[in-house]
Amino acid sequence: MNDQWTERLSEYLDGELAPAEQTALEAHLASCDACQATLEELRRVVTNARALDDRPPAADLWPTVAARIGLSPRSQSRPMVRRVSFTVPQLAAASVVLALLSGAAARVMVRRGTVDAPSVVISSPALLTASAYPGDSRYLAQVADLERALARGRGRLDTATVRVIERNLRIIDRAIRGAQSALAADPANSYLNLHLAQEMRRKLELLRQAATLAGARS
Amino acid sequence: MELTTPGVATLRRDPDQRALGDAETADAALAASGDGRAFERLYRAHVARVHSLVRRMVGPDSADDIAQDVFVRAWTKLGTFRGEAAFGTWLHRLAVNVILARRTTLGTERGRYVDSAEILDDLAGRAAVPELSMDFEDAIGRLPEGARQVFVLHDIEGYRHEEIADMLGIVSGTSKSQLHHARMALRRHLER
Repeated sequence: MNDQWTERLSEYLDGELAPAEQTALEAHLASCDACQATLEELRRVVTNARALDDRPPAADLWPTVAARIGLSPRSQSRPMVRRVSFTVPQLAAASVVLALLSGAAARVMVRRGTVDAPSVVISSPALLTASAYPGDSRYLAQVADLERALARGRGRLDTATVRVIERNLRIIDRAIRGAQSALAADPANSYLNLHLAQEMRRKLELLRQAATLAGARS
Repeated sequence: MELTTPGVATLRRDPDQRALGDAETADAALAASGDGRAFERLYRAHVARVHSLVRRMVGPDSADDIAQDVFVRAWTKLGTFRGEAAFGTWLHRLAVNVILARRTTLGTERGRYVDSAEILDDLAGRAAVPELSMDFEDAIGRLPEGARQVFVLHDIEGYRHEEIADMLGIVSGTSKSQLHHARMALRRHLER
């Protein structure tokens, strides 16, 4: 199989053909089994690529990085201050960022006790630990239910939507794994605990939105 | 190369996402002032993604060295991070720049610049024999350099052809052609 349209199949898959070319290619596809099969294989290649998981390096690179930038891994409890100066606008910007961070964190914490909080979020801030979320059966059950609902309705969504959903789920999963990995080394770190909780809530909310969207198209 | 915002997919940012982004922006500001702990948090959060990008772009042999280079470079460039994009987006583009700056040297060292069409044919045919089939990631690693980089940047990382063409110094038509040939080669390595 190698006709004039073979070379254009990837562009078709990515939605990059001009309307007239797209119409002509679709007419060709209707009568060419070989091109249909190739198109499906190309689609699976793209799906595989988007499903690849990120993996951390086999060995921790941080000690080497820290040494190269002049930080001693054992002395980081006392931050080393580089010779750096700030302008007044820079200091003002930093204070705004920190204020926003504090406000957002407080908002998240406060919302845990309100009716706005997602029902599957751990009920008490006291349980906001690294081990609580992955092992929480209610959370895992909710995720599994939503993933099944999304899988059932997936065919009703257009490919661009599926692509965005999958990409963002991967980003969230990556952040969850990163937080869990960091918490393994520093379990009492409140920032990391908050970060993990936020990421898991993000995943649940995205799955909920996607499943709702898929269901609405039925 | 100027650091710009890549076309990675994003959803509307909810309050929690903003909180995360604000947290990383704050860590970046702290790290820029010399706070090693803040920089380590950023490292821990992003090392898997950076290392995977490097490994896919240049192969496993130099991945650790180049990933370290990325974070060393990020440390020295933190002062240029303005918080206009997410820290991860900024770091990712910086990583691509570091990788591309190293690619010529690596290509020369490994003799990677061999006939691309020959390798693509070899790769496409190899998996037809079951015992010679290889992992999808390994198959990506065996693509010719140009096709591999375009495939990683487009299909895995989500950059557009125009951005890839700008980064690699090629025209977008070449990027599209390389992508298609990479996909055609890799379709032989799909799970049955």
